[in-house]
Amino acid sequence: MFLTFTVLGLVLGAVYAIAASGLVLTYNTSGIFNFAHGAQAMIGAFTFYQLQVVWGVPTLLAVAIVLGILGPLMGYLLHRFIMGGLRDTAEVTKIVVTVAILLGFVSLSHWVWSPQDARMVRMFFGADSYVSIGGVVIRYHEIICLVAAAGIAIGLRLLFTKSRMGVVMRGAVDDPDLLRLNGHDPERVAAIAWAMGSTLAVLAGILITPVGGGALEANALTLLVIDAFAAALFGRLRSIPRTFVGAVVLGMASTYLVAYAPSNWTWVTNLRDALPMILLFVVLLVLPQDRLRGAAVRTRERYEVPTVRRAAIWGVVLVVATVAFRQLIDDSSVGTLILGLTFAIIALSLTLLTGYAGELNLAPISFGAIATLVAFHTGITGQGLDARMSLTGLVLGVLAAAITGALVALPALRLRGLYLALATLAFGGIVSSMVLRETQPRSWFGHEFALFPQGTIIVWPLKVGPLDLGDQDVFLYTTATIFAVLGVGVIALRNSGYGRRLAAMKDSPAAAVMLGQRLVRLKLSVFMISTAIAGLGGILMSMALSSVTSDHFVYTLSLSLVMLTVVGGIGYVSGALFGGLIAGAGFSLIVGTFNELGSAHPEHASTFSIISHLILVAVALVGVGVAHNPSGNMSSIFAGHRFLAGAPEVRYAAIGVTVVLYGLAYAGVIGTWTFGILVAVLWMALPALGLWLRAERLLPPEALAARRGVPLELVGVDVPYPDGFGGQLDRTLGLPARARRATPTIPAQAQAPSEEGESHVRV
Amino acid sequence: MTLTQPHDAVRPRRSEEPVLELVGVRAAYGAIEVLKGVDLSVPAGTVCALLGPNGGGKTTTMRVASGLMPTTAGEVRYSGRNVTGITAGEAARLGVCSIPEGRGVFANLTVRENLWVATGTGTSLAEIEEAAYTRFPKLGERRHQLAGSMSGGEQQMLALSRALGTDPAVLLLDELSMGLAPMIVSSMYDIVGALAAEGISILVAEQFARVVLPIADTAALMLGGRIVQVGDPAEIEDELSTTYLGG
Amino acid sequence: MSASDILLETHEVVVRFGGNTAVDRVGIDVRTGTVTGLIGPNGAGKTTLFNCITGMQRPDAGRIVFAGEDITRLAPGSRARMGMARTFQRLELFLSLSVRDNIRVAGDIVRANTGRRIDVEAETDRVLELTGLTDIAHRDVSDVPTGRARVVEVARALMTQPRLLLLDEPASGQTEQETERFAELLRGLADDGLAVCLVEHDLPLVMGLCSRIHVLDHGALIASGTPAEIQESPAVIEAYIGTEVVA
Repeated sequence: MFLTFTVLGLVLGAVYAIAASGLVLTYNTSGIFNFAHGAQAMIGAFTFYQLQVVWGVPTLLAVAIVLGILGPLMGYLLHRFIMGGLRDTAEVTKIVVTVAILLGFVSLSHWVWSPQDARMVRMFFGADSYVSIGGVVIRYHEIICLVAAAGIAIGLRLLFTKSRMGVVMRGAVDDPDLLRLNGHDPERVAAIAWAMGSTLAVLAGILITPVGGGALEANALTLLVIDAFAAALFGRLRSIPRTFVGAVVLGMASTYLVAYAPSNWTWVTNLRDALPMILLFVVLLVLPQDRLRGAAVRTRERYEVPTVRRAAIWGVVLVVATVAFRQLIDDSSVGTLILGLTFAIIALSLTLLTGYAGELNLAPISFGAIATLVAFHTGITGQGLDARMSLTGLVLGVLAAAITGALVALPALRLRGLYLALATLAFGGIVSSMVLRETQPRSWFGHEFALFPQGTIIVWPLKVGPLDLGDQDVFLYTTATIFAVLGVGVIALRNSGYGRRLAAMKDSPAAAVMLGQRLVRLKLSVFMISTAIAGLGGILMSMALSSVTSDHFVYTLSLSLVMLTVVGGIGYVSGALFGGLIAGAGFSLIVGTFNELGSAHPEHASTFSIISHLILVAVALVGVGVAHNPSGNMSSIFAGHRFLAGAPEVRYAAIGVTVVLYGLAYAGVIGTWTFGILVAVLWMALPALGLWLRAERLLPPEALAARRGVPLELVGVDVPYPDGFGGQLDRTLGLPARARRATPTIPAQAQAPSEEGESHVRV
Repeated sequence: MTLTQPHDAVRPRRSEEPVLELVGVRAAYGAIEVLKGVDLSVPAGTVCALLGPNGGGKTTTMRVASGLMPTTAGEVRYSGRNVTGITAGEAARLGVCSIPEGRGVFANLTVRENLWVATGTGTSLAEIEEAAYTRFPKLGERRHQLAGSMSGGEQQMLALSRALGTDPAVLLLDELSMGLAPMIVSSMYDIVGALAAEGISILVAEQFARVVLPIADTAALMLGGRIVQVGDPAEIEDELSTTYLGG
Repeated sequence: MSASDILLETHEVVVRFGGNTAVDRVGIDVRTGTVTGLIGPNGAGKTTLFNCITGMQRPDAGRIVFAGEDITRLAPGSRARMGMARTFQRLELFLSLSVRDNIRVAGDIVRANTGRRIDVEAETDRVLELTGLTDIAHRDVSDVPTGRARVVEVARALMTQPRLLLLDEPASGQTEQETERFAELLRGLADDGLAVCLVEHDLPLVMGLCSRIHVLDHGALIASGTPAEIQESPAVIEAYIGTEVVA
C-alpha cells in the first residue's frame, strides 16, 4: 500500500512541479508574480476538453494545439500587451493587474463553459491502461505525468546550462542592464519566458484534472496558483530544483495524509484540499527575513487626504442622498442597495490597509465569513421570525475577524507585500475548503455542533435597543450611516500620528525603520483594524443576504472587490464606495436586469445573456487598465473638481439641476435609471462643462490666450512656452526628434521650465 | 537596427567625425540632475581619459554614451550620426562595447556562460573563448567557476574579455580600477593600451588619473556634472592634486 | 579630547562579498560634539562600512560599539531607538506627506516606539525653524528640490533627538550656496553636542567642515587625522590620484 501511495504522491507532486516551474520562470525573468497562472492552466484544460471531448479532435492533435499554440500564444500576448508595461509600477498595481486577468479568464470560462454542467476528463489512455510493477498499479496517465515532469526538469536544466537563451535568461535575473550592454533585449527574453511559463501552466492544467478525480472545475484549477506558489516557496521563488523538491513534498504529504489518517477523522479530505495553503503558512514561518533595502517607493499613485471636517460633511451628504434615493426605488431593490453598501464597508478595510499602509489583503470577504460564523453561533437570540442578532454577537464576530487577521498576517509580516497578499489568498482557500465545508455536527471544545450547519445559515438582522434592522429601510439607513461614520473614522485615523506613520511605512520602510519604527508591530495593528472592519462589513452583508451559503464567500468575489476598489481609487473612501457598490449591487443589478430583459423578450434572450457576460469580462479589462491610471477613477474626478473651485456657481448650478432631476424622478416623469445615469454624467462632466461656461474664471491668463489661439511666433512673447512646445516646434521645422524625457517620475514643475527655456535658445 | 535617421539627410557625414560625441547632454536621476550640459568627443582611433573626483558625473556620462540612460537634453552621436535615444542593446550591436563600473560580469553565471552572453553582439563562443583564455590563462582554468566567486581582478579580466573577443568599434571603460590592487590595475591598463594600439577608440573614466594618462591621447576633467577642462594629458595632470583634495 | 567623548567605535570590522574583502579590519571612531568625515575613492568600502554602522549590513567579523554598548548584532530599528539617526544618499522621503508631516511623523514614531514623551507639534516647529524650512513647511515634499530635500532628511532625523547623526553623501545634488548653508547647520549641531559623521565625495566640504577624517582605500583604513594631516598624507594622495607605477 505504501508504495502505491508513494507513486500517487509522486504523480501529484509532478503536476505541481510543472505548474510551479512555470510560475518561477515568469516571476524571475519579468519580476511579476502571475496570479493568473492557475487561470491559464484552467483555460488550457477547458480548451483541451472542448477539443477532445466535445469536438472529438484526436487526443494527440488536441494536445498539440493547446501546448503548441494556445499556451505559447497566451503567454506571449499577455506579456506583449499587459505585463511588458508593468515595469517600475508599485507591487499592488502588478498584483491587481494579474488578479484582473485571473477574473477575466474565470468569467470567460463561465461564459463559454457553464459552471452548472458537469464535465469529466478521462485519463490519457483511460484509467484501465496500466502497468503493474511489484503489485503497484501505475496508470499510463500517471506515467505521462512523471515522464513530463522529469522531462521538464531535464529540459529546463539543459535550457539554463546548455543553451544561450537559457543562460541569458539567468542573466536577466541578475542584471538586465548588463544584458543590454551585451546586445540582448531583456523584454524579448521576458516574452519568451512568459510563453514558456504559460505553456507549462496549460500542461499542468490538462494533466491534473484526471489525477484529482476527473471533474473539470474552473475554480479549483484557478487556485492551482496557490499550490504552485507553495511549492515555489521552497526555492524562495528562485530555484527551480528546490521548487521540484517542494512540489514532491506537497504531493506526498497530501496522499499520505489521506492514506494514513485515522478513519474517524472525517475532515481529512477537506484538510487535504487545504494542505498546500497550510504548508504555505509553515514555509512562510521559516523563511528568513527580507533584507531592508533603501528604496523609496516612487510610484505614480497620488492620493489627496481630505480634512476630517470635509469628510464629515460628505458623510452627511451620503446619508441624506441614501434617504432621498430610497424614495425613488421600489421595495425589492432596497436589498440590493444594502448589499452594495455592506460591500463598500468591506472595501473600506482595503482603503485603510492598501491605500494608507500599502499592504494587500486578497480575501477580505473570507474574514467576513469568519466574523459571520462567530456572530451566528454566539449572537442569535429569539425564535422563529422574531429571531435577531445581538450586539454581543456582532462584537464577538468583529473581534474574531481581527484575531484571525493577526494569525494570518503574522507569518508574512516580516516579508514583502507579495507574501502577505499570497498568505491572505491562501487563507481564503482554507476558509472555502475547510471551514465552510464543516456542514455536519462534530465535537468542538466539548460541544456538539456544526460550524456551517447544512451549508446554509440564516443570519438574522441586528437588534440593539430600539434599533431593529428587521425593517429594510432602517437597515438601509443604518448601513449608510455605518459606512459614513467608519469612512470619517478612517480619514481621521489617516490624519493622526498613527496614519502618518502608516504613510511613512508605505513610502519608505527603510527610512521609517531608521527613525525607530517597529514595522511588524505597525503592520500587524493596521491589518487587525482592517480585518475588523472587513468582519463588520461581512456580518452586515450576511444579514442583508439573510440566507448565506459558501458561495457568498467565494474567493473570486473578494478578488473582484479588491480589483474594483483599486479601479475606484483605493486611497479614497469614495473609491471604496465605488468598488463596494459595483461589486455588491452593480453586478447583480446588471445580471438581473439582463435576465429580466431576457425573459421579457425570449427571442433576444441569448443576446442579452452575451451582453451581460461581456460586461463581466469587460470589468476585468477595466482592472487591467489600472496599470495606466493607478490612482483610480475617483482621483481623476477629484482632480477635475478641484479645478472648479474658482467658479463655485458652476457647482451650485449642478446641485440645482440634480434637485430638479430628483423632483422629476420622484414625480415619475423620468425613471430611476435615467435619473441615476443623468446625475452621474452631469457630475463627471462638470469640470468640462465648467471650463466651457466659465473659462475666464478658471484659467490663468496665458492659458486663456492659448485658447484664443496665439500665433506661433508670438508664443514666448505674449504667453510663456507651454510644456513640450520645443518638441512641437522641432516637428514643425522638420528637425530630428530630441531626447526622450528621462523618467516619468520627475515633477514637471521642477524640471520643465529651465530645460525648455534652454532648448529654445538652441532652436 | 530600427533607427531611422532623418538627420543623415540634413547633414552629410564627414570622415573625420569623432566616433563618439556628446553635445550639451543633460541627464537626471529623478529630480537630481547629474549631467548639466556635457560636451565631449572621442576622435577615431584615440584614447580619451575622463577624469575627476567621485560624484562628478563620470559614470552617468558613460551610461548615457552606452545608451543605458536617457538624456533630458542634448545629443549623442556615433560617427556623426545622431543616435540620441538609442537603446543599449542597439548600441552594443553597433559595436559600442561598454564595461560598466564595478562588476561588469554576471555573478551567478560561470566564466564560460558570461562569455556566452557576450556573444549577443554577433561573435561566436569559440572565438571569444579563444581570445579570453589566450590573454588570461587563469580564466581558462576557471571556465566552469561562478564569476561571483572569483577575485575582483579575475572578474575584471572576465569583463575585459568581452572587449577582446567582440572586436568593438568603441570601448567604454568605467572605473576599471575600482577596488583593485595597484599591480592588477596597471596590468589591466596594459591590455587597454594594447587594444588602443589595435586602433580601437576608447573612452575611459578613471579616478586614478596616473594609470590612465600615459595611454591617453586627450584628457577631460569633469566636475559637478560638467567638463571643466579638455586638453593634453600632461597639462591636466598638473591640475589634479588641487582638484581632488580641494587644496 | 578624552576617550570618554567617543560615541561610536568600530573594531576590526570585516565584510566580505564573495571573493572580495570590501571592508578589511577597519577601526574608526566618532566623537561627541564633532563632525567626522569618512572618505575614500569609489569602491573603497565607505558605503559598506556605513551600512555596518546603521545595521543594514552584518559584518563578518569585528565589533561596533555605540554609547558603550556592543551593537554589532542589533537590528537597525533598535540602533535608531538608542539615538542613532541617518540620512540617505538616494533620498528616502515620505513622498505622500508634506514637508512638515515628514518631520512631524518622526516625532510620532518616537512617541509610539520609545518611552520618550515629546511634544510633537512644538518640537516640529522648533526643528523647522532651526533648519530654516519654515517657509516650505506646507509644500508637498515631492516638489522640493534636491538640495533642500536633503535638509528635510536632516530635520526629520533631528526630530528623534539623536546622539549620532550619520549622513550619506549629503552634498550631492546641492548647489554651492546650499552646501555652504548645510555645512553651517551641521557645524551648529555639532557645537550643541551632536556627533556627526558623513560619507562624502565633496572633498572641499569635508576638509572645511570636519575636525577628523578617516580615509578608506581598498577596504582598509589608510589614514585618520585632521584635515591638514590628511591633505599632506602621501598615502591619501596616492590613493586618490593613483600609483606612480605605470606600465
